[in-house]
Amino acid sequence: MSTIRILLADDHNVMRRGLSALLERQEGFSVVAEAADGREAVELALAVKPEVVVIDIAMPNLNGIEAARRIHEKRPETAIVILSMHADEGYVLRALNAGARGYLLKDSPEEDLIRAIRAAHAGKAFFSPEISRMLAEDYMRQMRQRGVEDSYELLTPREREVLQMLAEGNSNKDLATKLGLSLYTVETHRANVLEKLNLHSSAEMILYAVRKGIVT
Amino acid sequence: MRLFQRQSRTVLFIGFGGLLALMVFAGVDGLRVLRRMQDRSGSIQREFLERGRVLNQIRSDVYLSGTYARDYLLDPGRSAADRSKTELRRLRREMDATLANYAQLMRPEEREPLEGLRRNLNEYWQALDPVLLWGADQRRGSGYAFVRDVVIPRRRAMLSLADEIDEVNRRQVSTGNARLTDLFSEFRYRLIVTLMLTLALGSLLAVFATRRILALESQTTSQYTEVTEARGQLRSLSARLVKTQEEERRALSRELHDEVGQSLSAILVGLSNLVGATPAEVRSLVEREAAPLRRLVEGNVRTVRNLTLLLRPSMLDDLGLIPALEWQGREASRHSGLRVDISAEAVSDELPEELKTCVYRVVQEALTNVARHAEAQSVRIVVQQETARLLLSIQDDGRGFDIARSKGLGLLGMEERVRGMTGSLHVRSETGMGTLISVVLPLRTHPRGNE
Repeated sequence: MSTIRILLADDHNVMRRGLSALLERQEGFSVVAEAADGREAVELALAVKPEVVVIDIAMPNLNGIEAARRIHEKRPETAIVILSMHADEGYVLRALNAGARGYLLKDSPEEDLIRAIRAAHAGKAFFSPEISRMLAEDYMRQMRQRGVEDSYELLTPREREVLQMLAEGNSNKDLATKLGLSLYTVETHRANVLEKLNLHSSAEMILYAVRKGIVT
Repeated sequence: MRLFQRQSRTVLFIGFGGLLALMVFAGVDGLRVLRRMQDRSGSIQREFLERGRVLNQIRSDVYLSGTYARDYLLDPGRSAADRSKTELRRLRREMDATLANYAQLMRPEEREPLEGLRRNLNEYWQALDPVLLWGADQRRGSGYAFVRDVVIPRRRAMLSLADEIDEVNRRQVSTGNARLTDLFSEFRYRLIVTLMLTLALGSLLAVFATRRILALESQTTSQYTEVTEARGQLRSLSARLVKTQEEERRALSRELHDEVGQSLSAILVGLSNLVGATPAEVRSLVEREAAPLRRLVEGNVRTVRNLTLLLRPSMLDDLGLIPALEWQGREASRHSGLRVDISAEAVSDELPEELKTCVYRVVQEALTNVARHAEAQSVRIVVQQETARLLLSIQDDGRGFDIARSKGLGLLGMEERVRGMTGSLHVRSETGMGTLISVVLPLRTHPRGNE
């Protein structure tokens, strides 16, 4: 098993050093660079080319989400895990839109951080269980209040499969290979899913999947 | 002020009272004098006529007595002489009565000529008395001489006396008229004095009243200015207060998040590292000691996070107005089960800081009110941006309330905030019909608190 090369970005020195120590202790993890603000994080991500970036939201100069967006734009293959104090959908959606694959609360236990980094590295989404639970609860309550049928019921089995696999972080190409379908068919399924669920982006689709408990 | 008022009132009371009293006096006095003048003029006229009539009577009686005396003396017939004698006696009685009557009308100036007349008349009768006893022969003998020497001169004398009395009477009339003229001029003088007094008092009153009114006017103006200024100051003060409070909250929130929150998170990581770095044989022991510490710190992290959000949600600064409102909606929904729908139209991410805060706080207060009092099922919040203004409406389907009767502090606070941004807030609510709060906030204008 190859080593996962990690860039750590947090403006709080003690925190950053602690996280670094924590990750270094894990087998197969290597912290290759540390940044104290957003701008430095972008520069180092482009220079050092880590596989995973673990980044705090609240940072001087450039906030974590904006830094994540720039890193994702320049090197989309970089897996980004957001580390945050904020347990709110708004931040999660913003982070997903910026290209992050994981969203972790800062007070999460060690195991969650490790799982999140591994999942992101494997191209999958990961959220703090607390976030997943909150998103799911909010979603259920909304459904109940509006008294509408869950549009998930409108999806065909194939579309549900496509939704889950996409939400887990697979690309269209991955799906085509794994399901033995043409790329065009996969894209059609994806478009149908978005339309039936009234979603507008991959980020929203991932959020939906988390709300529905399809992915965690 | 109170002294000033009382003083004014006294002066006005006395002034107007005096003026009215003066006018009433002038009227009554004038009427009285006029009546007197009328009476005087009438009596002068009447007396003059009466005396004239009596004098004429005396004059004609004098003539008549002369005629009768001549007839008696010169008429040869016995019966004719007797008749004349009887007439003479009747005439004498009549004249006595007339004179006595006149004495009552008499004026002091007339006393002398009247006495003269009476004396002459007495002498005349006394002279005539023996003649009346004369026989026919004696009458024939000395009758003519008696008429010529006694009757005619005495009659002339009496007539001239009567003329004198008449003259006195005439003089009396002109004296009466002169006195009437005096009375009239006295009346005119009094009228002029009263009018002058009225005019003077009226002018004084007018001057005083005008000055007081002007003073009051300028006082009112200055007070109005003061009140307006004070209100403006109060408003700018309250706007500044709101701004200061918001800045303080933000600073506190940031401090809590950046310093306390981050430190606590670092402690959690440090605890993990501590346990991880412990040799395997004592790790469980250390882990047992670390677990309650970790729980404690985790609890603190949650407290800090909640406090931070309570003070000022970071979304407002990090994500913008609409994500912050959506979070607020979800929070309200989580805590009270309300259905909160938020729709935003063309709302910029780059709204001015104060405007964002104002909208957020208004919505927060409104949602708190709805959750507490409205017994609503759902709330609909719409934010719309136009070229020069931002529109916000919050509509619930609760039981509504009577705005005239209960306008809580929450609503007042909202109004104050909105006014501080030179915006306007309207509340429409009816019992059973829910409540609609509409806010209009101008864009691109500096709030008063900044001035």
